[in-house]
Amino acid sequence: MTAEYKKPVPRPSMNPEVSAPFWAGTKKHEIWLQYSKGANKFMFPPREVSPGDLTPMEELVWTKVSGKGRIYSYTTIYQPAIAAFAEEAPYVHALIQLDEGVRMVGNIVDMTEDEVRNNSLQINTRVEAVFEDVTPDWTLVKWRRIEE
Amino acid sequence: MTLRGAAAIIGIGELPTQRTTTGRSMIGLMGDAARIAIHDAHLRPKDIDGLVTEGGSIYPGFASEYLGIRPKFASGSSMMGASGPTGVLLAAMAVQNGLANNVLVVIGTARNPAIPPAADGRPSYRGEFEDPYGMSAGANTGYGMIYKRHMEEYGTTEEQFAKMAVNQRFNTLENENSVFKGQPITHEDVMSSRYVNYPIKLLETVMPCGGAAAVVVTTAERANASLNKPVYILGGGAAADPLTGWHRDKLTESPVARSAPLAFEMSGYTPRDMQFAQFYDCYTILEAMCLEDAGLVPKGEIGNFFDSTDTTYKGEFPINTDGGQLSSGQPGLAGGFRHVVEAARQIMGKAGVRQIEKNDIGLVNG
Repeated sequence: MTAEYKKPVPRPSMNPEVSAPFWAGTKKHEIWLQYSKGANKFMFPPREVSPGDLTPMEELVWTKVSGKGRIYSYTTIYQPAIAAFAEEAPYVHALIQLDEGVRMVGNIVDMTEDEVRNNSLQINTRVEAVFEDVTPDWTLVKWRRIEE
Repeated sequence: MTLRGAAAIIGIGELPTQRTTTGRSMIGLMGDAARIAIHDAHLRPKDIDGLVTEGGSIYPGFASEYLGIRPKFASGSSMMGASGPTGVLLAAMAVQNGLANNVLVVIGTARNPAIPPAADGRPSYRGEFEDPYGMSAGANTGYGMIYKRHMEEYGTTEEQFAKMAVNQRFNTLENENSVFKGQPITHEDVMSSRYVNYPIKLLETVMPCGGAAAVVVTTAERANASLNKPVYILGGGAAADPLTGWHRDKLTESPVARSAPLAFEMSGYTPRDMQFAQFYDCYTILEAMCLEDAGLVPKGEIGNFFDSTDTTYKGEFPINTDGGQLSSGQPGLAGGFRHVVEAARQIMGKAGVRQIEKNDIGLVNG
């Protein structure tokens, strides 16, 4: 943890109250998702209705999930939009399909520069969440490769 | 044919007005109003195949993403306080003309001081769930992941995508309206251009530009008296998918998979009847995916298609005959409109040196 974290922390502009349980979860190094009984599925990002069946917010249940999944796709960022990332480029920005069915984006933490530049990361690789306490208020979810 | 009696409202939804909408956002309120209206209509959300939102404050694509509705007709109706009634007119025109069967018109406003204004004034998840992980500019990140997924699922190669960029650059060389006029590139130039984000290379992305486009549309009857050869509109569709690309169920499929079949059905023609195509091309991958979803190329075979087909204006199936946006520059919001103008120009026979011979019928995706 460092006082001078220069990169962007999450800016909840949709509805901070709705996504607060997700970020409270990451601070405990856990992943919590809304579960819609009506649709019988997990949801991400957090919403006020469940997508597809429009189940209302009161009927969505926050539930702790495994934090494991697979790489669904990725791109390697050579030219970040935000200057604070420039010195880290290139790095991998991956789309993870969680075992619970939802997807989220994040970085893969344990790659060597050669692996990044050679695009050696394989789709479907098994990953698990790791948590980075970037400021006293915010903990980001990142991902590392694991055995099957 | 007028709108008289052609369409009807069959369900209504309304939330109580509140001085402060504590705990709630605009899209969340819209979701509740939508659920009430759909229920009142004795329909289910999956029966909704058309979606109209205000548009300026919230993109139909974002509403599609949040509400989980996948419309084959989507539109904004940005008319300030008159957006709702205008939206109902759009919905009526859509159902009257077979663009959709059940159109949801949904508009809302939140007054919740706990919600900070979004960076660009419209709701999206980017600032909360994407920016902290280091996005590339514009839509690069999402399309990079789609590109990689296309390579994985179909074996398409970067070399094959690069051919699209080269053919379009040839098409633009004598285009007076192109920012890249007279600047040829080779396949090697594309392949050796730097990664903006792998697998997308610099010469596979558009250059942001300024510009504008316009057309005049009239009735077929009046068009017969025009001094220009009329460019008849035979069919169309306007589908929307999640604004955030990774919310698509299938990353490599675009909403063209829903809009193009509608357009063909309406027209009485098939993809095999098309003589040329003008297709939205912010990236090679987006154009490739849409050409497939339109049925012009079988799904997953775009790579082989570009290996074996000359798509320049001299070739057997011309695509983006003015260079497209990739090789003419992307004039922002007019980006997709340029493709309409070039299609009309070709049909009118006004394309000059790049005039194609078979110019009776084509497909445009903007």
